[in-house]
Amino acid sequence: MNKFQRVRSIIWGILMITFSIGMIIFPNDGYIFMTMFISIFLLMLGVKKIGYYFSMARHMVGGKKILFEGVILLDFGIFTCALSDLPKIYVVLYLLGCNGFAGIANVLKGMEAKKLGAPSWKLSTSQGAVSLMLAVFSLIFVKKTNVFVYMYCLGVIYSGIIRIITAFRKTAIIYIQ
Amino acid sequence: MQEDFHYYATYAAAYIAGYSHEESMEICYSAQFVDVCSYTLLTKLKAPLSAATTQLQLELMNERTDIVGLQNITRIWSSFHFLPRDLYAEKKKCGKRYRDKYRLICGPNGDLLVDTVNIAKNSSLQAVGIAMHVLADTWAHTYFAGTPSYVINNTDFYFYELLGENEPYIEKSIKFRHSPTEPDDIENSIYTNSLSQSTENSIMNLGHGRAGHLPDYSFAKYKYLPAWKDYDEVIKDNPADYMKAFCQMIYAMKYLRGEISTFEKETYAEDEISQWKADIDQILRKRQLNACEDWKKFGERLSGREIEDFSIDKYQQQYIDAPKKDKDYTYLGRFFIAAMRQKSMVTNKIYTSGNLIAGFSVDFAKRGFKGIRDYIKLLEAFKRNGNE
Repeated sequence: MNKFQRVRSIIWGILMITFSIGMIIFPNDGYIFMTMFISIFLLMLGVKKIGYYFSMARHMVGGKKILFEGVILLDFGIFTCALSDLPKIYVVLYLLGCNGFAGIANVLKGMEAKKLGAPSWKLSTSQGAVSLMLAVFSLIFVKKTNVFVYMYCLGVIYSGIIRIITAFRKTAIIYIQ
Repeated sequence: MQEDFHYYATYAAAYIAGYSHEESMEICYSAQFVDVCSYTLLTKLKAPLSAATTQLQLELMNERTDIVGLQNITRIWSSFHFLPRDLYAEKKKCGKRYRDKYRLICGPNGDLLVDTVNIAKNSSLQAVGIAMHVLADTWAHTYFAGTPSYVINNTDFYFYELLGENEPYIEKSIKFRHSPTEPDDIENSIYTNSLSQSTENSIMNLGHGRAGHLPDYSFAKYKYLPAWKDYDEVIKDNPADYMKAFCQMIYAMKYLRGEISTFEKETYAEDEISQWKADIDQILRKRQLNACEDWKKFGERLSGREIEDFSIDKYQQQYIDAPKKDKDYTYLGRFFIAAMRQKSMVTNKIYTSGNLIAGFSVDFAKRGFKGIRDYIKLLEAFKRNGNE
């Protein structure tokens, strides 16, 4: 990482943590913010795909489908932004998808580490169990808006912390001739 | 490539090149160990994590594909499994972002191969084994890049196996499925590949994942449309490529033993194998998922000695039991230093070509020691021996 990337990573990390804490303190307004973020996320994804087509995918075999994907996502993003309140099912699916996938991956990784005799299996398995629990909670508390906000915020805070830690990591490799 | 070639065929190549049975065993063990030396294993051994030469599927699933994660993936896979052929390759009408990925496409006989063989010169047998793994994979993994990239590594439905030894070949459409637990069905040309993910940096688009294990089978001959090749089909002739890999390994190891003064590209020790060429060709062309048994018999016929099966545990206790100051002198200690040296060299070459996908490299001669602390081991090894 160069200095600019490190500073950008730290600023993003701090912003993510600050917003999440704000949303936890005011969960009712937080839900509106959260749905807005998800809608904007879809919109940005569409724009990003179209940019990706023009910078990269137009050179590849079958790259046109990226352009179509981008247009469809952009359209979907605009549609969800236009809704005053994002249907809850989207939020549930989002939380379920993110936590469920992370949980299964971590548990499997833990099992493999155990097979190889590495002590890291306990950490991986417990991380996986927590993620899976969060996925289950998003189904159990499907009617409780505040719980969604807390779960979403925990995920964002975690990502923010990782961004900050990453910014301080030494990544260069020495070369000795 | 898989254990049959990296372990047993490397043993045979080392023996033909003039190494003793014991030396050949050390070399082929190191060549195969490249495919198992993961973070998980290094954590167990309390060894430097920077010595990782591969990533387990589940480690990859868990790897963040942010800048640092991508650098890490690229360092491992480009250094040991997909050595770039030309870091200065040009392609018209494309931007830097695309070109940086394009330049990481693997292929044989590149400048980096010469560098790889040269850093193994006057070094440990473990370094020789690593260099042979890298060399062999440049033939098997041609046309794919050791970094996640949809625009480079993707393949589409146009994929045919070419059956028969000579033209006209019988073309058989290849079907791909995404079931990692099921073995490939070579009778019906049904192979497992990674899921199609249109996200550029998805780990599904790393290396030859989208083409399944086809590049790893010596018998496979197929044609397809690589994502990066402007709709030009390529024919990948693995039996011929694997034969060249075998001959080039012998040539490289003759150089490393000091029998030849310089290592040159596109040179193969074909005369040395003339008496076994038909046998080797037969092993390479036999349609089977795993050729270990055949290569093992061939190697044992060459040396008249038994080749013990590869065991991941073989040298672990020696490393664990060694006092801290002696760990670098154990079999695995030497392997870790050689691996870090290879990674450091390849990262430096990619970085100095103006490509930041593998991250930053700090030239010790100019700026002193900076960066990841694990590499102090490399510095210590240089101070001790000059060339470990």
